[in-house]
Amino acid sequence: MVSRAAAAIRTRPRREREAEVLVWPDLVFIEFISALIFSIALMVLSAMVNAPLLNRADPDTTPNPSKAPWYFLNLQELLLHMEPAWAGVIVPTIALVLIAAIPYWDRDQEGQGVWFGTKFAGRLTIFGFTAATLITSLLIIWDGSLHVVWTENIIRGLGLNSDFSWPGGLDWFRNLRGFDTGIPWESLGFSIGGFTMFADWRAIPLGIPGTTTDPWLLNLNFPSFLSQQLIPVATMVGLPVLFVVFCKMLGWIHTRRDIALLIFSAFIGVYLTTTIVGTAFRGQGQDLKPPWDIVVLEE
Amino acid sequence: MANLERAPRKSINDLIYDLIFKNYVWQSIFRTGYPNTPRNQMLAVATNVFLHLHPTRIHRTHVKITHTYCLGGLSFFMFLGLTVTGVLLMFYYVPSVERAYQDIQALEANVRFGQLLRNMHRWMAHAMIILVLLHMMRVFYTGAYKPPREFNWVVGVVLFILTLLLSFTGYLLPWDQLAFWAITVGTTMVGSAPVLGDESKFLLLGGFSVGPNALIRFYTLHVIGLPLVISIFMAVHFWRVRRDGGLARPL
Ligand code: HEM
Repeated sequence: MVSRAAAAIRTRPRREREAEVLVWPDLVFIEFISALIFSIALMVLSAMVNAPLLNRADPDTTPNPSKAPWYFLNLQELLLHMEPAWAGVIVPTIALVLIAAIPYWDRDQEGQGVWFGTKFAGRLTIFGFTAATLITSLLIIWDGSLHVVWTENIIRGLGLNSDFSWPGGLDWFRNLRGFDTGIPWESLGFSIGGFTMFADWRAIPLGIPGTTTDPWLLNLNFPSFLSQQLIPVATMVGLPVLFVVFCKMLGWIHTRRDIALLIFSAFIGVYLTTTIVGTAFRGQGQDLKPPWDIVVLEE
Repeated sequence: MANLERAPRKSINDLIYDLIFKNYVWQSIFRTGYPNTPRNQMLAVATNVFLHLHPTRIHRTHVKITHTYCLGGLSFFMFLGLTVTGVLLMFYYVPSVERAYQDIQALEANVRFGQLLRNMHRWMAHAMIILVLLHMMRVFYTGAYKPPREFNWVVGVVLFILTLLLSFTGYLLPWDQLAFWAITVGTTMVGSAPVLGDESKFLLLGGFSVGPNALIRFYTLHVIGLPLVISIFMAVHFWRVRRDGGLARPL
């Protein structure tokens, strides 16, 4: 380990005194001006827009929708699509640990200290960001069943079938919960050699009775596990892998730095999309709504 | 023979200059003269405790605004501004369920520039989060996390978390519907952790739901606990920027 640290220090660029400038005035001036610009901008903003202050807190009146501060709305958005433990705690923890681990994994010196330092950095960034934004938006639309509403409206609107509604056979494709409620799990039990396998998918015995009181550990509710944990987690793991494989096939990825660029950019895309949707597109009951249709009711 | 050469008469500018910068009091405060020569400029930075965060000379590429966009410095500037406005807010605010909301209303209605003060504190807090995120993106896209700066990147991630926590703990203090329910939603998420979820939530709130105990805990963390911790991490962060050889640049 020592040698690696020593190597890192040895690989430090040499000081080029001729290329140096004095901190005073060159840097101090820039800092001063940027601080000044920010002070003025914030003053003007504060003179024009007041910080919100609603009614006094009342535990008996719940606003609908109730929202966390905006910088946690990405997590609150995740909450709508998976088991709360994943959305609220496990996913953000893993994300932070992975971000913190980047430099321990991507250690070569290529592309250090310059913007978008590798050959395909620009493409990887744009692709990662755009594709992740699009896919996240589509997933949110799908889980909000907007495709159902839109298909119905289009088919009715075109006069093809004025009382068309989403076919029952496709109930499983309404949204994520569809995998739970839209599939006839009751009739999916089967028996092998007299043994009934999965007679009840909603209570697959896991634990030894008496050893735990946690229903999750005692009996697995598979349909709910599938829709609330397996599919969301597989998506969050699988899509980045697909991204990497895809860009590798395009020949854009040569170093770990390239992979980091791709995944980090995709992460920024997801982070922004979920924050914006959570902030501006969730109305009562956390339904998807355009921002101008959102009103907060107190209940 | 008498010396016929006399010093040329000083111009009025020089006289004023000497009066301001070469007197006993000035030089007792700033050991150097006015920083108008390279020597004085370096001394000005090196002998001043605040400017001493900087080296005296830095590489030319790093004063280009487009290299850092000043984002780290501006995050720090927001922190300073929040500290100043925060201390002023503390004069008017008592963290009790009975008084908190009234105090904010009174601050807005009765205190001269009270509304402005609160607005500044609020918008700076939002700005800081955005600036820290952008700073992280700039560090990432310039590949500045690579060795030997791995650890400072980790310190940065901790700073990001602390920034969010500072903002989150402040959010409850006005004790209005927005505050109350946002914190209720947020702490419910904490409670859903698979291990120690309920315990952490209880610890954070000092109870099972948002109430007087939660208010005093959030207040204490907001005005003293977290600012202390974040100051320590910032000190390490800045120290390491210099120890790791200044900002990253290509080999
Ligand atoms: C409260 C939050 C933070 C403050 C006040 C802060 C402040 C600074 C300052 C003033 C610099 C000098 C260069 C510049 O302005 O860009 C810097 C550099 C750096 N920061 Fe931060 N920072 C914060 C958060 C972060 C975060 C969230 C990360 C990453 C996860 C990070 C990682 C770094 C690294 C690696 C450098 C060295 C950059 C280089 O060598 O080019 N910092 N920080």
